[in-house]
Amino acid sequence: MSAPTVPNLLRDHLTDLALNDSRLDGRDQFEGRDLKLETGILPRAEGSAKVTMGNTIVLAGVKFQLMTPYPDRPNQGGLMCSCEVRPIAGRHWEAGPPSPEAIELGRVVDRGIRESGCIDVDDLCIIPGEKAWQVILDLHAISDDGNLFDAFALAGIAALRSAIIPAERFEVGEDSPLKVSKKPIMCSYHKVGGRFVYDASYREELGGDERIHITLGDDDHVHSLQKGLKGIFTADEFEEIMEHAKARCAELREIVD
Amino acid sequence: MGGYGDVQMIDENGLRMDGRKPGDVRPITIETGVIPVADGSCRMTWGTNEAIVAVYGPMEAHPRKIQRQDRAVIDVAYNMAPFSTTDRIRPGFNRRSREISKVTKDALESVVLLELYPRSKIRVSIEIVSAEAGTRCVGLTAASVALADAGIPMTDMVVSVASGKINDVVVCDLNKEEDNYGEADLPMGVLPNTGELVFLQMDGDLSPAEFKQAWDYNVDAAMEVHKLMVEALKGGDN
Repeated sequence: MSAPTVPNLLRDHLTDLALNDSRLDGRDQFEGRDLKLETGILPRAEGSAKVTMGNTIVLAGVKFQLMTPYPDRPNQGGLMCSCEVRPIAGRHWEAGPPSPEAIELGRVVDRGIRESGCIDVDDLCIIPGEKAWQVILDLHAISDDGNLFDAFALAGIAALRSAIIPAERFEVGEDSPLKVSKKPIMCSYHKVGGRFVYDASYREELGGDERIHITLGDDDHVHSLQKGLKGIFTADEFEEIMEHAKARCAELREIVD
Repeated sequence: MGGYGDVQMIDENGLRMDGRKPGDVRPITIETGVIPVADGSCRMTWGTNEAIVAVYGPMEAHPRKIQRQDRAVIDVAYNMAPFSTTDRIRPGFNRRSREISKVTKDALESVVLLELYPRSKIRVSIEIVSAEAGTRCVGLTAASVALADAGIPMTDMVVSVASGKINDVVVCDLNKEEDNYGEADLPMGVLPNTGELVFLQMDGDLSPAEFKQAWDYNVDAAMEVHKLMVEALKGGDN
């Protein structure tokens, strides 16, 4: 991602808005954009989802491959999460090897899903030491108007929950749904105009400071945290957004199937 | 071309496995304005192919060495999403995508009025999210619609269709099985207003008569698809 010049006008405007408890598009501090989740939309993927959050659109697709289990874990399959933001997603994204921003994005989403233990890798073993499933979750941005993190995380877990293991095609048994026992959900907050807001748009990200990503699993267990970009925050600020994240994650968990 | 001539793909009534007659095109849907942050965009489904295209620009051309003093350049990035095929595609550099990006750029640069935008760049990003055979044609056709949606002046839109040969029968718009086991493939990019061509590739084996038939199928199909493109652009939100 090329670093865009941030007009001071934008930063000043965002500060003014924050002082009046308002945002660029008139949302409340912790109000998300309109959200739409569709699953089973990609005919070649074994599981898929599309998330639309305002003008941000992402796709997630699940594919399966056979792998030889690692020698130290002969009874386990694998889960891999890969994220790509190609130039289609916005004028600020460029072709070429993944930028540090895109790598961070993929890894934070991956940690949230992996650490929640929603996929039991022991279940993915077919023949111990010989054959196991590798589940590959590919996240693909179509339109970036901010907060790709939450959109990717939501599309990712929804795609996994819709996935069917293609055992018949690989001639290792019968097709069956992939078991996904939990629903890890990510909520992201961006410091804009001196305060944290939920679900920042691209212009807010552009004129904002640090961001914090929180992934909560069932029963509000914390599975991944990430602070990104330059900025300082207090324990009180963190407590406030954590309280909001708990409530919001519970709402989003209802939307995922 | 697989060239497995013994796989029977035309039945006794002359119909193909998906029920089409030799000259028929697969069902097509076209939508514009699907990417809110882009200057122009198009989503096109063609059989079970699905291409999403964004156009950004004209914008400053950088790095500066790609700038042309007398005209704009078009930067095309064709890519297949990892989940777009039966076996996952590893993301990253790939010679096939590079070649398709290049021939697509060559086709589009032939119709866009580049002289109107000296020193600038028009970015065309083609993402194939579901692939069934003929993705380069879908990508190029959808890119034309996206350029029109972005309001970029062009002499004509490019309509691309591929015909080929299966079981010694020339057929229009090959599907996946036909492409895998067929004996020839002829993708073309036609300008419907004049009948001129801006894109041409071919591999396989065609007699002069078969070649003529495949060519004619492509031109006829292009005229048909062009109507849908115009309809989609007229019916848009603008």
